[in-house]
Amino acid sequence: MANEEKTGSETIGAAGPKSKVTLFKDDRAEDVGAIIVTVIIVAIIVLMKMH
Amino acid sequence: MNNESPGFFRQLPSALPGLALIIVTLVVIRMWIEPWMAGAVILGQKGWLIKVFHLNFILLGILCGMLYRNVIFGGTMPEIFSNGFKLSRLMIKTGIIMLGSLYTFSAIVQLGAMAIFLIGGFVIMTIVMVLWLGKLFGLDRSMTGVLANALSICGVSAAVATAPAVEAKGSQVAYAIATILGFGILTMFISPFIGHALGLTDLQYGAWIGTGILNSGQVLASALAFNPNVTPGSAVSIAEIWNIMRVISIPFAVFAVTVWYWAGQSEADSAGKKKGLGTLLVEKFPVFVIGFMVMVFFTSMGAFGDVGIKGGPPASETIKTLRDVMQWVFGFGLVGLGGYIDFKELRQAGGAPLKLGLIVGATKYIMALVVVLLIKDYLVSI
Repeated sequence: MANEEKTGSETIGAAGPKSKVTLFKDDRAEDVGAIIVTVIIVAIIVLMKMH
Repeated sequence: MNNESPGFFRQLPSALPGLALIIVTLVVIRMWIEPWMAGAVILGQKGWLIKVFHLNFILLGILCGMLYRNVIFGGTMPEIFSNGFKLSRLMIKTGIIMLGSLYTFSAIVQLGAMAIFLIGGFVIMTIVMVLWLGKLFGLDRSMTGVLANALSICGVSAAVATAPAVEAKGSQVAYAIATILGFGILTMFISPFIGHALGLTDLQYGAWIGTGILNSGQVLASALAFNPNVTPGSAVSIAEIWNIMRVISIPFAVFAVTVWYWAGQSEADSAGKKKGLGTLLVEKFPVFVIGFMVMVFFTSMGAFGDVGIKGGPPASETIKTLRDVMQWVFGFGLVGLGGYIDFKELRQAGGAPLKLGLIVGATKYIMALVVVLLIKDYLVSI
């Protein structure tokens, strides 16, 4: 396990190998992915409500 | 290990079947099953399933996820659906960032001060209790270190973050995770019933489960199961502030347990293996919390219109839509979370680590409720 360290928050998960709970290379990449998805969702909602 | 991953965008097309299964599940639950439950007359009472079992789309979604994996698919998620379910954590984190639209900075400061007080006290108490019981039960120091942070902060995340720092083996991490997930699943389902039976307010309930439940996903599920509304002052808005405070404390708790672990090792063993607080902060800080704070900033600046805080103007149309979307995003994430509850993996728990985990987990869960009830008059609402 000591050799499998990954960078990131590992905030939500399940038992078993870490690689099986995300499509991202590590948890930090998943965090950044979540920020990007949020930006896209919020931008769409704000633009929809402007018109 | 990272080099083996084919990358997010290359795997995305293979996630579509799982994605479709989760979305169809959620649509069926929200469009047909929930309205049917609200109108169904059972034992002479309209909406009996909702009134007695407090069933809502969140609980049904988690149950469906569990049913898919453990019953319909016989314990293993089929390859075709597997990658879609791997998007569930992404959606939960996305929902938590979007939750930033429920708060202004003044609300964060008010709630955060209370949360730091409760979370800080419970984190320290839990670590001390685990280290003491670990010694008493004769547990290996690596196992004790992993359990200390798993039970004190954030379940899976803390166990995984602590493992390399205390030289834990994969089997020890799996033991710790199975213990906390098993206990967490139990608390995730019983907490809404206890909360309703005791007549807790959203504020009291959110403070209780935000302190007493071990895992982030389970805190979220339990809060939404108690009250699926995503509005300022709702259970999820309180519990998540607690949760975020806890998540932020991961690097500090990893540091504390690391110091304890290496204090018991010889100088030769520890040379070059200890990590400083600065390194741990860089490596372990949960970046999505920054996204949450940026969302709070824009909300405080009025970028999305009025937030709809009690006593103020009603929420703007943008904020209302954001909250509707948030419910779907969380629903998606929690169906996926249910799909990761594997009864076979939970059976890995056992022996002294399980005994220690149950003693500490139950103590923390009950103590958190007692403390919240004792200080209920001092809890600040938003």
